[in-house]
Amino acid sequence: MKPDPITIEILRNAFIMAAEEMNAALIRSAYTPVIYESKDCAVALIDSRHRVLGQSSGVPLFLGNLEACTLATEEMFGRSVWGQGDIWIMNDAYLTGTHMHDVTVFAPIFYQGDLAGFAASRAHWLDIGAKDPGVPMDSTEIFQEGVRLPPTMVVRGGEPIDDIWSIIESNVRFPRSAIGDMQAQFAVASIGEHRLGALFDRYGRDTVEAAAEEIFRQSEQLDREAIRAIPDGEYTAEGFLDSDGVGDDPVRIKVKITVEGERLVFDLTGTDGPGQGPINCGAVQTLSACRLAFKYLFNSSQPVNGGTFRPLEVKTKPGSILDARVPAACQFYFTPLGLMIDLICSALSPALVDTVPAAHYGDGMIFQFTGINPRTDELFLDNEPHVGGWGASHGQDGEDGMIWTLSGNFHDMPIEVFESKFPALITEYGYRQDSAGPGKWRGGNGIIREYRMTTDTELSLWFERSGNPAWGLIDGKDGAPPQVVINQGTPRETRRLKTNRMPLRNGDTVRCYTGGGGGYGNPLERDPQAVQADLADGHITPAYAHRHHRLNHRD
Amino acid sequence: MKLRVATDIGGTFTDVVAYDPDLGRYATAKAPSRSDDLAGGVMDALSLVIDDPSGVESFVHGSTVGLNAFLQRRGERVILLATRGASDVYHIARGNRLDMFNIRYRKPIPLIPRRDIIPVGGRLDCEGDELAPLDHDDLRRASERIRSEKVRSVAIAFLFSYVDPSHELAAAGVLAELLPEVSVSLSHQVATEWREYERTASTVMDAYIAPSVSRYMADLSTRLNDRGMEAPLRVMQSNGGVISAHSASERPLQTLLSGPVGGAAGGVALSEVLDRSNLICIDLGGTSFDVSLITNGHADSSPSALLEGLPVLMPVVDIHTIGAGGGSLAYQEAGGLRVGPESAGAHPGPACYGRGGTRPTVTDANLYLGRIDPGYFLGGNLTLDVQAAQQALEDLGANLDLDGERLALGIIEVINAKMSQAIRTLTVERGIEPREFSLVAFGGAGPMHAVALAQELGITEVIVPPDPGGFSAWGMLQSAVRQDFSEAFFQDFTDLDTTEVESRFARLGETAVSSLLDEGVDHNAISLIRRLDMRYQGQEHTLTVTLPNHASPSEDGHLAALRQRFEDTYSARYGHSNPEAALETVNLRLTALGDVGRPLLQPNYRPDHPSGSPSKTPPVLFATGSYPTARFHRESLMPGCSINGPAIVEEATATTVIPPEATATIDEYGCLIIKAPPL
Repeated sequence: MKPDPITIEILRNAFIMAAEEMNAALIRSAYTPVIYESKDCAVALIDSRHRVLGQSSGVPLFLGNLEACTLATEEMFGRSVWGQGDIWIMNDAYLTGTHMHDVTVFAPIFYQGDLAGFAASRAHWLDIGAKDPGVPMDSTEIFQEGVRLPPTMVVRGGEPIDDIWSIIESNVRFPRSAIGDMQAQFAVASIGEHRLGALFDRYGRDTVEAAAEEIFRQSEQLDREAIRAIPDGEYTAEGFLDSDGVGDDPVRIKVKITVEGERLVFDLTGTDGPGQGPINCGAVQTLSACRLAFKYLFNSSQPVNGGTFRPLEVKTKPGSILDARVPAACQFYFTPLGLMIDLICSALSPALVDTVPAAHYGDGMIFQFTGINPRTDELFLDNEPHVGGWGASHGQDGEDGMIWTLSGNFHDMPIEVFESKFPALITEYGYRQDSAGPGKWRGGNGIIREYRMTTDTELSLWFERSGNPAWGLIDGKDGAPPQVVINQGTPRETRRLKTNRMPLRNGDTVRCYTGGGGGYGNPLERDPQAVQADLADGHITPAYAHRHHRLNHRD
Repeated sequence: MKLRVATDIGGTFTDVVAYDPDLGRYATAKAPSRSDDLAGGVMDALSLVIDDPSGVESFVHGSTVGLNAFLQRRGERVILLATRGASDVYHIARGNRLDMFNIRYRKPIPLIPRRDIIPVGGRLDCEGDELAPLDHDDLRRASERIRSEKVRSVAIAFLFSYVDPSHELAAAGVLAELLPEVSVSLSHQVATEWREYERTASTVMDAYIAPSVSRYMADLSTRLNDRGMEAPLRVMQSNGGVISAHSASERPLQTLLSGPVGGAAGGVALSEVLDRSNLICIDLGGTSFDVSLITNGHADSSPSALLEGLPVLMPVVDIHTIGAGGGSLAYQEAGGLRVGPESAGAHPGPACYGRGGTRPTVTDANLYLGRIDPGYFLGGNLTLDVQAAQQALEDLGANLDLDGERLALGIIEVINAKMSQAIRTLTVERGIEPREFSLVAFGGAGPMHAVALAQELGITEVIVPPDPGGFSAWGMLQSAVRQDFSEAFFQDFTDLDTTEVESRFARLGETAVSSLLDEGVDHNAISLIRRLDMRYQGQEHTLTVTLPNHASPSEDGHLAALRQRFEDTYSARYGHSNPEAALETVNLRLTALGDVGRPLLQPNYRPDHPSGSPSKTPPVLFATGSYPTARFHRESLMPGCSINGPAIVEEATATTVIPPEATATIDEYGCLIIKAPPL
């Protein structure tokens, strides 16, 4: 019998809140700063048929694939593999789709002796034993990127499996933090089990499960209605990454979108690959990123569950950078995904002209440096994403200096925190003048952040989208591309966008420029008052105002 | 006559509570708030309970003036002086977003535009060593601009001023000399903590509201003095304590959340009077549901708050706001029922307000179920249209295949489930078990839902204080004078320099005592609480651990005891701890409290008092059926009497619902104590 609408609505909220509660526990007890500061983690409460009941994610990109882990495990070992009190771990890039720093922990939930569902969490660990401390920028095989764990049991019937723990501890550079984070993820499982059990106790398992079906149906209906609202047709876009991180050739990503009534197909089979460098991504995570693009465009405020995304179909070409196979390197799996999402948005812009923004600056723009800190004589590691300009859209300028879209609530690192922890100074941090893509509404500003080393260190960089910078829409222009200049203005000046463990000397400077966002609409139509305001605020020079807006200085 | 008076400005009404210690009696009243003349509204309210302010011995005020200036963006124009090379920090604002699936995200609009930020040369490193001297030419140029543009408020926030304030002080000195009338906020004084964006944002906020707050304080003091009041005017602070109006003008940021914390302050006082150390306080209004926690007799608080996305570093009582209230709308989506977070607001408001609303709200459901008396809403100030509520419910119900009754009950069930789940998540985040708490309900709609929420959470006792609508103002009467001080103190815990800790606390203590003496507090009424922010090395978040009261940190075993406290707190909060891991200290905190006397509730117990007689017994719908339900006027319920559910208690500011399975008594303080079995 179908439960009444009241019970269904109570349970719909209860599933979401259960996931919130699980995530709160994880964030509160995690060891790695990126988990509790940047919320680089996600949790899901999953039913016994591997469908999400409720989820909570601190990172947009972790939107939709935790259930892939429990499903893959069951496909490998059979349904009888699940045992009460067991906890599993995995980070295999091809099965989970992300890089191996993202470790997924999951546990079956039992109710009165029967399998009732799963609690799962994913969190970014500080180190996973790659060839270089932190994140290698030039790996060419998965084997250089750390310890790779297929679905592996770490707790059996409530008892830790010591030899597996030892393997993990022996293969990472910061074992205390790894074990600390793993235990924080265990807490998630026990909360999930408790909450689901309480709902079964109160409403009965049959009612809860029947309500879940109806909740899925409601989500599916909303997605179908959203797709039906846009015109049928084929929409395409393509773009290029600068390189795969090792070779110098641009890498093509091609998106063909078909809208047919209530059905939406993202066909990515025209994409290049595999890449020799670490830009490959497992198909599971490509799917998750397509779901994210969908969420950006449709029903953004609706919670995600097993019924969401049902009308969305994704096609990938095996072995391409969006459907990686052994031994493709996957460390920067997110780089093609960011471009792919921008392309999906732009492709659909004719159908969604009022909601789709021009391209964002495009990537994490990662600065990583490592060495021995003279203050402590210990190995240090700093890995920072950089903010840049977002794309403009109808009616509004793009935001200045934001973390890129896929990373959500990541924060930049305060200068005071940075300098207290690491042997370097930040000598400049501010907006990059004239970097915004011109338009009736302009793109956001990129930034400049300059570091000066106070000891010898090694530098790694991952900056992208210089060849194919944030493009404009509807006559809007491109934003400025990124660049990184080492020792600018000295005889030893060099430029790099991607590099791995480049030696730096005490006193060397690294000046990072991030890109601006694409503009929207014809720059000649920009409100002159808005141009004047940008001049007064120093965001643009008179030359920019003249060139793009025909505004003369004396005007 | 020695009256103690508190006033609390709300969006609609200004509440006043006056306590006469000789008679042991409270008088309460409310007057409409005046948005264009807040002090005038306060005077109006005051005149309703007091003829002659010269008899007032103590006057506490919950001021919304700073908050309003901020929310309406009507604060002072501010120039910010920031470290050259890092002057965009205030606008970059960490680059993060909470709104994850919005690709057209815009940051909260900063309080000052980029053109009003002036870079000033000069740089310290993380240990306070000078890398570049303060650039006096920059300062002079800045002063000229400030003068020529007639800017009256300046914020100064330089990098690493929390380690060494010398550059900020020197810059302030230059300004004081050149521009003596300009108000200056210094970041190291507003918040002695690291993270330049958060500290700068706090300093800008302080500078932005400072002139309005001091003008208002001066205005109100003058008006009160003109009416003959001699008692000092004290203001409620965000930290749950009070401070003199003079200090509030000096440090306006501390009064930013002055109003909302009154309820939590009332919770703390209630906790002491009723001898219940753990309380969950709920305040349900038309659009929002506020929750605060009292644990071990103290209000749960944080070292910072986020206001419309802008961070403010200041000790603040945690008020958690959830979008649920009497105005929460019920509607259909994808064939399912939804209740909230969308709200009917004031216009059109619930269907029963008769202002054109056609969609049912929580208030419509309560009315339809018979829980609200249509003729006695807001003390009879608004007559409700039962017919309109019924129509709205039946229309929506028809689409969902539910009759009006079932839908009305369902709306209440859904909103109660949402609110109780929100409370549960809050308690889980803090490692607290809600069953060990009592639930205190105040605000207009809190007592209507409180028992059901308690039952959902396994809480067996609900307390509804006398005059729940004026509870925040009452709470203010109970507050001690409070000042918080903090200092950055980064040290490895293993070789913690305990002599240094002691001498720093001693120094902070001296400052604190002299400042409380200035507040007019007696020396022997001052107490100091010393605390340390600590964490495992490598972590960012800290936990605050209180030092034992009289022990000296250099005593034997003291460090071990402190470490144990940290581990216990950590374990309670996070479920595990790591006794082997290295610890470090981050901040020293000192709270100074000054007891200025509190008019605690007085027992007024009359044994064997007969239960009050109900005014009428119309039917009311509960989940288990329809019952003839006794309706009582709160004034008719004397201490000692008891009531069996189902019953409804009405008073001018609130309606309390006592379901069939619950029982209630009136305790010696006039509190309604309701016991209900968990579900």
